[in-house]
Amino acid sequence: MTEDLIIGMAGSGGDGVVSTGDSMITACAIEGYSAMLTKSFGPQIRGGESSFRLRVSTRPVLGPGGTLDVAVALNWEDFLKFGAELPVGGHTVVIYDSKSGVAPNALPLRGVQPAEVVPVAIEQMARELAGTEKAKNTIVLGLMAGWFGVAPDSILAGLRKRFGKKGPELLEKNEQAFAAGRQYAQEHPLRTLAPMAPAPAGPRPKLVTDGNEMCGAAAIFAGCQFFGGYPITPSSEIMHFLNREVWKYGGSMLQAEDEIAGIGACVGASFAGKKALTATSGPGMSLKTEMLGLASIAELPLVCVNVQRGGPSTGIPTKSEQSDLFQAIFSAHGDVQRPVLAPIDVEDTFGMTVEAFNIAERYQTPVILLSDQELSQRKEAVNRIDTSRFAVENRQVPGEGELEPYVRFRITESGVSPISHPGLPGGNYLASGIEHTETGAPTANGEIHARMNEKRLRKLQPLKARRDLFLVEGPRDAQIGLVAWGTLAGVALEAMRLSAAEGLRVKVLVPKLLFPVSEQVYQDFFASVKRGLVVEQSHLGQLYRVIRMFVDVPKGVESLARSGSNPLSPEDVVDRIKAQVKAMQTEYAPVQQVG
Amino acid sequence: MSVIEVYQAKDYKSELKPIWCPGCGDFGVVQAIYRALANVGRPPHEIAFVSGIGCSSRIPGYTTAYGFNSVHGRSLPIAQGIKMANPDLLVLVAGGDGDGFSIGGGHVAHAIRRNLDLTYIIMDNQIYGLTKGQLSPTSPKGLKTASSSYGSMEDPVNPLLYVLGYGARFVAQGTPADMAGLATLIEQAIRFPGFAFVNVLSPCVTYGQADQQLKTQKARMESLDALGHDPSTRIRAMELAQEYGTKLYTGVFYRDPNPDPTYEVFMAERQMQLDEAKLPRERILDLFMPQQ
Repeated sequence: MTEDLIIGMAGSGGDGVVSTGDSMITACAIEGYSAMLTKSFGPQIRGGESSFRLRVSTRPVLGPGGTLDVAVALNWEDFLKFGAELPVGGHTVVIYDSKSGVAPNALPLRGVQPAEVVPVAIEQMARELAGTEKAKNTIVLGLMAGWFGVAPDSILAGLRKRFGKKGPELLEKNEQAFAAGRQYAQEHPLRTLAPMAPAPAGPRPKLVTDGNEMCGAAAIFAGCQFFGGYPITPSSEIMHFLNREVWKYGGSMLQAEDEIAGIGACVGASFAGKKALTATSGPGMSLKTEMLGLASIAELPLVCVNVQRGGPSTGIPTKSEQSDLFQAIFSAHGDVQRPVLAPIDVEDTFGMTVEAFNIAERYQTPVILLSDQELSQRKEAVNRIDTSRFAVENRQVPGEGELEPYVRFRITESGVSPISHPGLPGGNYLASGIEHTETGAPTANGEIHARMNEKRLRKLQPLKARRDLFLVEGPRDAQIGLVAWGTLAGVALEAMRLSAAEGLRVKVLVPKLLFPVSEQVYQDFFASVKRGLVVEQSHLGQLYRVIRMFVDVPKGVESLARSGSNPLSPEDVVDRIKAQVKAMQTEYAPVQQVG
Repeated sequence: MSVIEVYQAKDYKSELKPIWCPGCGDFGVVQAIYRALANVGRPPHEIAFVSGIGCSSRIPGYTTAYGFNSVHGRSLPIAQGIKMANPDLLVLVAGGDGDGFSIGGGHVAHAIRRNLDLTYIIMDNQIYGLTKGQLSPTSPKGLKTASSSYGSMEDPVNPLLYVLGYGARFVAQGTPADMAGLATLIEQAIRFPGFAFVNVLSPCVTYGQADQQLKTQKARMESLDALGHDPSTRIRAMELAQEYGTKLYTGVFYRDPNPDPTYEVFMAERQMQLDEAKLPRERILDLFMPQQ
């Protein structure tokens, strides 16, 4: 039985490629499999080529994986446009529409010899059974169900739901097309791939959603009542979600005239006492920088999501990269620090978004949540989340004894001063971007400036002790340690699994709190291994450099970094691990005594 | 039983001492604001007063309202966020001509078309004062300043035409040379349901032009009321507004006789309509449960 299966499919717009992927992940979730669906499109606004990768597993899916187990090409021209996103290897089963006329021994795959090649008359079957080539995707669903046993009943139920509305005739034709695909598969079993093992026991259905929607839902859970933002790829779906939902909770949302006004309105809403969220990507972050500084000095809670894409400038808006870490941490004038968090997958996006709101509220600070294009737009079938495990924090409001006179920026032991809001009698104060005294009066006094800087920075220090914002996995006595953040955490964890299968002892540290830097966590981790790799999807290796700013990184800890849009695969990481092991063996080889 | 409190102008005056130069027009503006607020009668804690950066943007700190002296040019977005988050508040916005029509100029059009119930007061001195005497967006063409030693080569922005052109529903102009008149205009602007704009020709005594000072203004100003202007037509208001820079009209240029419902009204309707459609917050993830 197959435990883990990666299917990739491509076709032209109108072939229903994406809806095939959606149907399959929904069916997988209903049956209780873990699954991950990533979609990719050509640059056209509408139409053009489209593709998906679906990974189905009986174990939690850590990442989209590398080489495909199954490749489905409705036509070769479109399939090949996706290049490295749909890699075919020696173990891949290639299924393609025989209408393309390509002979099985002459596939345009640059010399790669797939394990098995299966031409199927997909379009012809669609025409004959459903009377339209539009049913090609239904034939493919039938083939997949037949060969891999992936959720046939649920797929059929999905078809009934989708086509039921469009009349009995269309439904019947699609049911026939599905059955025909299934039958074809059963009559032509694959030589090299077995059906999927049954899904493990557990609550089902699982949830299906992407990182952006999960972020929006978590914001609602955390009590967010205001969204201000501006459309930008790949974060707009967060705005779309809150636009649908936030009004229901007595909140409001603003599609502002620009990125600055979007976050400006959030600063205003937060001043007015409401939890506020803005979301953007790199270019928008550049514009929001001044407002983030204002929120820091005025000590106003605020969550700002940056769904990272390729940069600088417009860069590659539709591809993932981890190159905005420097920006998240350092883009500010003045002595300012702000917490930076990064979720690792769709499920974790819930907890990290709630955490971002909690930290913002507790410490009265803007918090940056770094997502990325892949995480934001990939769908995952994930375990249901017990929301009662997540506490929601609210800002500390002054008690009666603390009002009239109210000292807004009182220097307290923790550095956090209770915050009032317009409408609260006796809490009146002046908020400002100008340096101010404890009561809020503008000042240019150097002594007060120093004390205020100290207060604003001191209040964030307890974050460094938050061990729950770090994940460590793997054998205690591992020789190699990987550090990875965001979506690369899944790649590193999978590399750890693959290494273990080859007898290599590897462990992984995943920081979800990227700033302030918890020096001790990194020191302890590096001290526990002989060699290390900081794995990230950016040319500069930004996390590696940030860690080196704060921690004495031992010799032997290296950077494995690559520009976005060239995904690092678990296999790439394993290759570097092997290189490190080899270097280590050379290093520790005893000197041969001569004579 | 509610206690009806009567507020006086002094109740809105804070203990902070203004940093303005002696004789600055802004002293008159803040006095006019105290008076207008006393007439409107909302308690200070129900007022949010937002500004940007500049001499005039210090003004919220000189009131007892909840103030927000924010960053340059961004008072309007912040004020709109406040008003959306809590529509019950009285929200005032103020700043200079550079703050509103140069660095923040892009926000004015959108505040107008969104039409939240805000009052926006510009203290227009046709110069940058805080940065020591550079050209401002409303400086007259040819003006020699620290940054235009040989004279400006640009036409000035006409703030009145600017906001009338974008569809502002209440547009007035005043001067601290007529403080009582200015207080009345600000009061009317606050009471107007929707975005209201008041341009105040508030002279800079240090870097301003000699013919812009209060004494000259007193001689030049003409009351639109006295001229028999009917403020109910936008086109007539725009004709008069074209005289900005040559004539000094005071009073209401335009007041929409049938103002549309404000943004807050639409917001409240939507919140009410959708209230029943919500899942309990702790069950929000049910949205992602696949339909069987």
